[in-house]
Amino acid sequence: MTQFWRQALAIVKRDLIVEGRSRETLAVVLPFAAAAVFVVPFATDALEARLSTIAYPVYWLVALLFGMQVALRQTGVESQAQRRQLSLLGVDPVARFAGRVIAGSALVLLVLAVTAPLIFLFYNPEAIPRPWTMAGVLVLFALGIAMLSTLAGDVTTGLAARTTLASLLVVPVSVPLLLGAAQTLESLIRGRTTLPWVLTLVITDLVLAVTGVLTARSLEESNT
Amino acid sequence: MNRSIARATLGSLALIAITAGLWLAFMSSPDVFQRDYVRIMYVHVPGSWLAFLAFGVTALASLAWLISKRMVFDRIAEASAEIGVLFTTVSLLTGMLWGYPVWGTFWDWGDPRMASTALMFFVYLGYLALRRAVSDPTARARRSAILGMIAVVQVPLVYFSVTLWRSLHQGMTVRPDGIAMDGSMVAALLVNIAAFTVLYAYLMVERTLLARLETETAVVETELAGRSVERPNLEGLA
Repeated sequence: MTQFWRQALAIVKRDLIVEGRSRETLAVVLPFAAAAVFVVPFATDALEARLSTIAYPVYWLVALLFGMQVALRQTGVESQAQRRQLSLLGVDPVARFAGRVIAGSALVLLVLAVTAPLIFLFYNPEAIPRPWTMAGVLVLFALGIAMLSTLAGDVTTGLAARTTLASLLVVPVSVPLLLGAAQTLESLIRGRTTLPWVLTLVITDLVLAVTGVLTARSLEESNT
Repeated sequence: MNRSIARATLGSLALIAITAGLWLAFMSSPDVFQRDYVRIMYVHVPGSWLAFLAFGVTALASLAWLISKRMVFDRIAEASAEIGVLFTTVSLLTGMLWGYPVWGTFWDWGDPRMASTALMFFVYLGYLALRRAVSDPTARARRSAILGMIAVVQVPLVYFSVTLWRSLHQGMTVRPDGIAMDGSMVAALLVNIAAFTVLYAYLMVERTLLARLETETAVVETELAGRSVERPNLEGLA
């Protein structure tokens, strides 16, 4: 294994250990997401036919907002002293970016995996014909949200309004991810080709990855 | 030429050009189907063009800052983003005003150009919010330069949205096979685009100058605050 991936995996391990100790995603964000899925029917007349039509839009909205919250929180746990230490130890900023994105994606996937059965339980949506294709789409979506949140987290590090500002930066830019994931699901259900929407997701992920790699050093310079 | 005379000349030129453009807009022939509502286009299209131009300039100035670290590029990026947001607002509002009588609705989700323009507007609002949240000039310049380069991806997305997705929005008027418009309309549109571009140039000069003055004022204020918290002279009191 190369030095780069050893460093990246060390960052992944560190972030997941921090999450394991604080349990903020498991104990706070996931119950909050579950509660959000549960309360939406109270805002409509809760007829089964209507709930069935809004099931997937509710899922994507919850996935976006809570996934973003998890990924942003996870990028915010690193203090300036820790960042300086990593910099002095010679940890490659790109490896740091990769490590944080992988850990963030794992947590976002956890949110997606926990909320999906709740949607099926409470909303009775149409069945998904090829669930494995959808699983791959969820991985691409989680990667994109994690990369976007990591970038927004880095750009807003140390600011008083970090939480709200980072969300404002993430939500409009996440639209290609949301569009790609939601339209792939819609195309699967309607029996249409999914290729253009999967490509939208892949291209958006690639653009975000390239941006992250190109700006990692500059952002580290700014944040240490 | 003295700088203030040059600025005044550019301002006067912008005023004359805008007046001429609006006069042509009211004098040009009405559309067969849209009737007089077509005149909204003479403000809507230049507004959209300036939004694209302004955000493109923001991205280029951001890149120039990342390479050279010269603060003038940061000021250009800021000024252009602010003007871009202003003209995106003009474009969105005029589009909605035109949409109501012609399409029967102010907002149509079936039009990807409208939706993507609104998204671009929010992205640049985020850019401006980020600038206001960072107080250190170098950190502000670096962070906003990175965001300015990411955000520009929206511009081609908005421009090509009418060809990428099925849309209610009018397609490209100027195409390789010709112009799908009456001559007087084309003339009025081109004059207005040119006039709004001169206005953009004038606003850029004024806003960049203001940004420089803001920086200089911030330095003076920091120095004053620094002096007021100097350690008191206690010599001879112990």
